[in-house]
Amino acid sequence: MLEKLSENVMDKVSIDYVRNQVLKNAYGNDDTPIAALDPRVLIVWYLFFGIAPWFMGSVPMLLAMFLFTAVTTRLARVAPLVLVIFAVGVFAQTGYMFVAALVFGGNADTLTPLLVLTLKVASCSLASITVFSGLDPDRLSSGLLWFGFPERLSFSISFAYRILPIMMEELQNILLSFRLRGRAPAHDTLLGKLRWLVYQVKTIVQSFYPLMLNMAKRSRTTVEALELKGYRYASANPDVLKIRLSSLAVGSNDAVFIAASAAYALFCLALPALLEVL
Amino acid sequence: MSVTSAEQTAQSHKLMVFVLSMSLYGLATLVSELIPSVQVGIVEFSVEFFLFIPLTLAMLFDPLSVALGAATGELVFSEIMLGQFGGIGEVEKFLTVSIAVYLAGTVVHDPRNLKLVGVAAFGATALQLAMSAGVDILKVVFAVEEFEAVPGLPESVFFTEGFAAVNDLLFSGILFCLLPTLFLVPRLYGKIEPLLGMKPRTPENAPRPVVGRLAAASVALFVVAAGAACLSEAGMSIVEWEADWAGDMQAIFVGLLVAVVIALVACYCLFRSAKLSRA
Repeated sequence: MLEKLSENVMDKVSIDYVRNQVLKNAYGNDDTPIAALDPRVLIVWYLFFGIAPWFMGSVPMLLAMFLFTAVTTRLARVAPLVLVIFAVGVFAQTGYMFVAALVFGGNADTLTPLLVLTLKVASCSLASITVFSGLDPDRLSSGLLWFGFPERLSFSISFAYRILPIMMEELQNILLSFRLRGRAPAHDTLLGKLRWLVYQVKTIVQSFYPLMLNMAKRSRTTVEALELKGYRYASANPDVLKIRLSSLAVGSNDAVFIAASAAYALFCLALPALLEVL
Repeated sequence: MSVTSAEQTAQSHKLMVFVLSMSLYGLATLVSELIPSVQVGIVEFSVEFFLFIPLTLAMLFDPLSVALGAATGELVFSEIMLGQFGGIGEVEKFLTVSIAVYLAGTVVHDPRNLKLVGVAAFGATALQLAMSAGVDILKVVFAVEEFEAVPGLPESVFFTEGFAAVNDLLFSGILFCLLPTLFLVPRLYGKIEPLLGMKPRTPENAPRPVVGRLAAASVALFVVAAGAACLSEAGMSIVEWEADWAGDMQAIFVGLLVAVVIALVACYCLFRSAKLSRA
C-alpha cells in the first residue's frame, strides 16, 4: 500500500510534470479575470497588499487579509504545484521555529507571535503569487518596463519562459543517458542507500558538464541572433519602447478591481472595531 | 574602427555570459526548489545549493556578468516563475549571491591553479551563508515585537540560524560547491571559452580586482541588503512602537496610510525615472 502510494507520488513529481505545470502556469491561464487586468494596476496593487500586512498586528485583521489574497489567488487560477510549494515553504519555516522555541522553554504564548508572522508571510506571498503567476510573462515584463525597470530584467523574464522547457528536456535526456550507461548501486541496506544517494548526486553534478557546454553554444546563437536584429540599439531606443508599451491600457475592469480592493482594505481596517461592537 | 569593434565584441560576450549564467543557475535553483529536503533529526540535508554553477562560470568568464546573471536567473526562474517572489526581501538574496560570486571570480587569476579555485569556492560559500544568516537573524529581531520577551524565541532563532548556516556550509558547501567546482573548472577550462568565441583566462588577461574599492563596495552593498531585508519586515515594530502612545486603531491607520504613500511614491518615482530615461 505504502509502496504504491510513494510510486504514485513519484509518478506525479517527474520532470515532465514540473515542466507542464510551469508552462501551464505561465501561458495556460490568460483568460482569468486577473490576467485581463492591466499589469501596471496589478503591480501597484501588489505594492500595497505586499506591504500593508506588515503593518497589522491583530489576528482577525490579518485573517481577513489572508482570505482576500487567497480569493485573488483562486481567481488567478494558479497551478497546484505553485500552491504546494508556497504552503510547504510558509508552514515548514514557522513550524520549525515553533518546535525550536518549544525546545528552548517556550510555551503556548510563543504561538501567537508566530501565528501573526505566518499570516503576514502568507498573505504577502499570496499577493505576489496572484500578480507574478497570474499575469502572463510578456504582459508582466512590459508592465515592469513601463515602471522603468532595466530592459535586461524584462528580457530575462521573456527569455526564461521560452528557454525553460528546452533546458528541462535536455537535462532529462542527459540524466537518462547517464542512467543508461551507468549502473545504480543496490539500495537495500543502509550503506547501499547512502551509496545510492551519492551516486544520484554525482550524476546530477556531472550532467551539468554537458549541459553547460550545450548551453554555451545556445547562448552564443541567441545573442548573435539578437545582435542581428539590432537588440542592443532597440533596447536603448525610446521609440521602440513606445511601440512595445502601446498595448497597455487601463479599462473599467481595472477601476472595478481597484475599488473593490480599496473597499475591502477599509473593511479589514474597521474589523477590530466591528468585532468589539458585536 | 578596430577599437569600437573590439568593444562591441566585449559587450556581446558579456551578454552571452549573462544569458548562460542566468539560464543555467535559474534551472538549477528551480530544480532544487522542487527537490524535497531530507531531515535526519535536526540536521537538514537539502540540495538547495547549486552555487557551484555560477562559481565555476565566474572563474572562467567575466565575473560581474556571471554574478548579475546568476542572481537574475534565481530571481526570475525560482521566484517569479514559481510565484515565490518576496518583494523587497529578494534584494537581500540578489545582493548576497552576486557579491559572493563576484568576489570568487575576481580572486581566481588562473583557473588552472586548483588550490586557489578550491579556497575561493569554499570562501565564497561561507561568505554567502554568513551574510544571509546575519540578515535572517536581524529580520526576526525586527519583525517580532518584544523580541526578548517571547520565551525561548531569541535563543531558538540564534540557534536555528547559526546551526543552519554551519550545517549548510559543511554539507552543501563541501558537497555542492567545493567538489563540483574542483571537478568542473579544470574540465571546462579551454573547452567552453571557444564556444563563446573567447580566449581562456590566464594570469595576463585576468580581470583586475580593485581591492580597496571592491571591499568598500561589498560592505556597502551588504548594508543595503540587510536594510532592504529588514525594511520588508520592519512594519510591525513601527506599529508596536506607536501603539504605546496612540490607540491601536490609529496606529494601524497610520501604518496603512504609510503603506499607501509608499506604494504611490514608489510608483511615481519609478514612473518619473522611466520618463526621464526615455526623454
